[in-house]
Amino acid sequence: MTLLDPTHSVTRHVGARHERLEDRPFLVGDSRYSDDIELPGLLHAAIIRSPSPHGIVRSVDTSELTVPVDLVLGPDEIAATSNPCPIHWILPEQWQTERPLYDGRVRFVGDPIGVVVAADRYLAEDALDEIFVDIEELPPVVGIDAALADMTLLYPDRGTNVMAQWMAGDDAVHTDAVFTAAESSLSIPLRIGRVAGVPMEIRAIVVDPGRPGRDGRPEKLTIWTSTQAPHAVRDAVAEVCRIPQHRIRVIGPDVGGGFGVKDHAYEDELMVVLAALKLGRPVKWIEDRWESLTTTTQARDEQYTIDIAYDRDGTLRGIRLDAVRDAGAYFSIFGAGPLFAMTGTLGGPYRWDAVSSHARAVASTTCPNHSYRGFGQTQATFVRELAVDAVAAELGMDPIELRLKNCITPDEQPYQLRTGPMKYDDGDYPTSLRMARAMADAWPPVPDDGRRWGTATSIYVQQAGVGPSQGNPHVGLQIGSWESTTLRMERDGTVRAYVGVSSHGQGHATTFAQLIADRLGCEPEQVEVIHSDTDVTPYSAYGTAASRSIAVGGGSAVLAAEQLAARLCAIAAEILEASPDDIVLDSGTASVVGTPARSLDLAEVANRAWQGWALPAGYDAGLVEHAVYEPPEFTWSYATHSCRVAVDPETGLVEIDRYAVVMDCGTVVNPTIVEGQIHGGVAQGLGPALCEEVVVDETGQPRTTTLLDYLVPTSSLMPNIEIAFQVTPSPHTPGGMKGMGEGGTNGGFSCVVNAVRAALPEAAHRLTQTPFTPARVWSALHPDQETP
Amino acid sequence: MTAITPATDTRDTTFVLNGTETTLRVRPRTLLSDALRHDARVHGTHVGCEQGACGACTVIVDDVARRSCLTLTPQVHGRIVETIESVAGTVGLDPIQQAIHDAHGLQCGFCTPGIVMSLVAARRAGADRTIAVDEVLDGHLCRCTGYINLRAAIELAWNELEPNSLEPSS
Repeated sequence: MTLLDPTHSVTRHVGARHERLEDRPFLVGDSRYSDDIELPGLLHAAIIRSPSPHGIVRSVDTSELTVPVDLVLGPDEIAATSNPCPIHWILPEQWQTERPLYDGRVRFVGDPIGVVVAADRYLAEDALDEIFVDIEELPPVVGIDAALADMTLLYPDRGTNVMAQWMAGDDAVHTDAVFTAAESSLSIPLRIGRVAGVPMEIRAIVVDPGRPGRDGRPEKLTIWTSTQAPHAVRDAVAEVCRIPQHRIRVIGPDVGGGFGVKDHAYEDELMVVLAALKLGRPVKWIEDRWESLTTTTQARDEQYTIDIAYDRDGTLRGIRLDAVRDAGAYFSIFGAGPLFAMTGTLGGPYRWDAVSSHARAVASTTCPNHSYRGFGQTQATFVRELAVDAVAAELGMDPIELRLKNCITPDEQPYQLRTGPMKYDDGDYPTSLRMARAMADAWPPVPDDGRRWGTATSIYVQQAGVGPSQGNPHVGLQIGSWESTTLRMERDGTVRAYVGVSSHGQGHATTFAQLIADRLGCEPEQVEVIHSDTDVTPYSAYGTAASRSIAVGGGSAVLAAEQLAARLCAIAAEILEASPDDIVLDSGTASVVGTPARSLDLAEVANRAWQGWALPAGYDAGLVEHAVYEPPEFTWSYATHSCRVAVDPETGLVEIDRYAVVMDCGTVVNPTIVEGQIHGGVAQGLGPALCEEVVVDETGQPRTTTLLDYLVPTSSLMPNIEIAFQVTPSPHTPGGMKGMGEGGTNGGFSCVVNAVRAALPEAAHRLTQTPFTPARVWSALHPDQETP
Repeated sequence: MTAITPATDTRDTTFVLNGTETTLRVRPRTLLSDALRHDARVHGTHVGCEQGACGACTVIVDDVARRSCLTLTPQVHGRIVETIESVAGTVGLDPIQQAIHDAHGLQCGFCTPGIVMSLVAARRAGADRTIAVDEVLDGHLCRCTGYINLRAAIELAWNELEPNSLEPSS
């Protein structure tokens, strides 16, 4: 791997708190989200959904329809005109490898079965009231116990509700031997609640079939949609709606957050595409918040038994997980992937003699469970760090000392994991813990205010920067992990960067411009970052997800910029009659090292490339470079989170008093943007720790269908966060970045949970189910009383 | 007894929108958020929940911040409505917008216009920074920033507004 050659450029922008280049439209109301797309003749869709959690569809009756509609697309026609949706992750014992848009059954409240299209959304929703869905009801399957009982099967021909299961890490014989040899062990049952992603912009799709081609299919189908992965949407539309890929253009305009839930094309969105194709007119569908909280994929909802073996001196020996995930009605595009990621990263930063997991995903008549920020690594951090704290409490040891005693040290790196062919590379975990301890030690003493106070520290090592592609088939993943960037320098020295990854708040227009500008010796303002348009931007199977944009997409941008820099140096050397090795690109010029008078504006060099004459031998005209980055290894960012909470014993209310993070994500391209990611990540960690929970009642009806029932954090819940950085550049990524977008969630959830348990040691064994709502905390403190 | 208005009947609502008298002919049940976005084609006001919870759709009606998703269009007949498009000049930014930019108080940007409108209304009403943080910001949901940099932005903006009172609110 060619890393940046420092002789050709000067680092001016990477590491700087550069202001965001993309902000103005968002501040002044000039942004362009999918629902802002208006087209001539645009029609509006509403989705016909199942009111029942489980049943066989007898009919969709439109005979009483009085509202003027343009189309009702029912389930039979949908089934007849579509192929099944692809599933990109096939895990052991997983039989569901694709799923039809409709198979005659409904399996959760909100399951889409048709589309109604009208002149506007109000009329389309009116029509829904007059369309009767007749369903032969089947018993609901709600909760992991009911699913495992197999009394009612979601897929009767399979004979079980288990959708996939596997063992990960050490085998049972070895693990049992380690547990037998250890001096002590603990076994802790835990339950993590179901959460929703809740991007502020909910799902949206606008489909313009354009004019028909010679075969009657669209010459060019254009789709604007709120997505993290435009190419994944394109691939799904091509496959499901039977259109050649080159005749589909998917554009992600401004996208209002994703957090994992917008990483694929949904069934209802594909039905809207079918409706637009049938009508030959543009159709818009905008999800509403009820739909978002009931049908946009949810996450977690797992129960665990976590066993931990240790010696009395605090040496950790083994960790063993039994996990069952409520997968919901069917597998979405990455299936039970989050649980697989959990079992793969269970061990964290510690030395173990055994790390072992048994994992199962079971079907229930609830919304499908899928990707969410953290993607299983939040859960791995949760169970491991909770168990480690439980050992510390059992031994009466300081929890940080216990962690330091067992932490992998830098001189043990690269460190082979017990759970797969992965190696930690360069982390200094003990220093991370010590820095966090020093920050927490500086906190003022707690007041004597009648509340119960607790402090906890959690550390995680995050598998970010997914790769390499050739490893994916070994774990059942059907897509590649590489990324690419195309750079074009124009005649005046300005640059266009076409990147595969998509920005929906991450600030790529700024950070990618910083990476590129340093290699080319220009200003970030001279670099336009272009993303999320499948007709224009490079292919990306994942889009922006899995903390990989800056590590993998950014790596490809660095490679492309190095190639472009080399070309600029060669051309400049030809003009200046110097050696290319002696050319330095800086501050908009190409100059001969040590002889600043021999200098050219970058624009002069660029113009020569486009003129096409007097170029160095072997160089073609133009200034375009394309680079593919295939990550040779995962990158491993890590962080320690410390927090202090106060619990009101009268009400069970938790306040987060202090919070500190020590982050190592390799090269920090823009500290302000990384801090912003930490802030938002921690918010999405502490929300599910304290208040966010999707509730489905025993009849299968969702009970948290508004943002007044599903409680995401508001400002008053969020503490300020002290942040310190360690910087150990990745040895793999060109540029040294590791990726960190999910880290705040991984550390935040675990840290807050453990701080509440630390505040209430006598009740900790009852605090095993998240979120720790005031009612749950109060009940844990008053086990013999009814909740008031 | 008045007859129930058929769902397809429309009526004119005339109001001042960002300084210009505007008449929209919409069905009376049309939410102000929808009328602004899809009839007046002023797209800066965003719809996040239509449940009154998230605040993304906040506009100013007669100097008061209101959820446009909980307002029926005829309710603004004869009134003055301001949306995010009215806040900045063609080049510069309002100090509140500038502070949100300077403090990195936005990521995806979807909730930003509603927060700006609530803060503009609060400033106009003479709210101090404590109210701006504890009451106004707490009435909005943001999923990206964790609010920390939005609180910092309010401090920056109110420092400019109240140069003699630089004490942070919390």
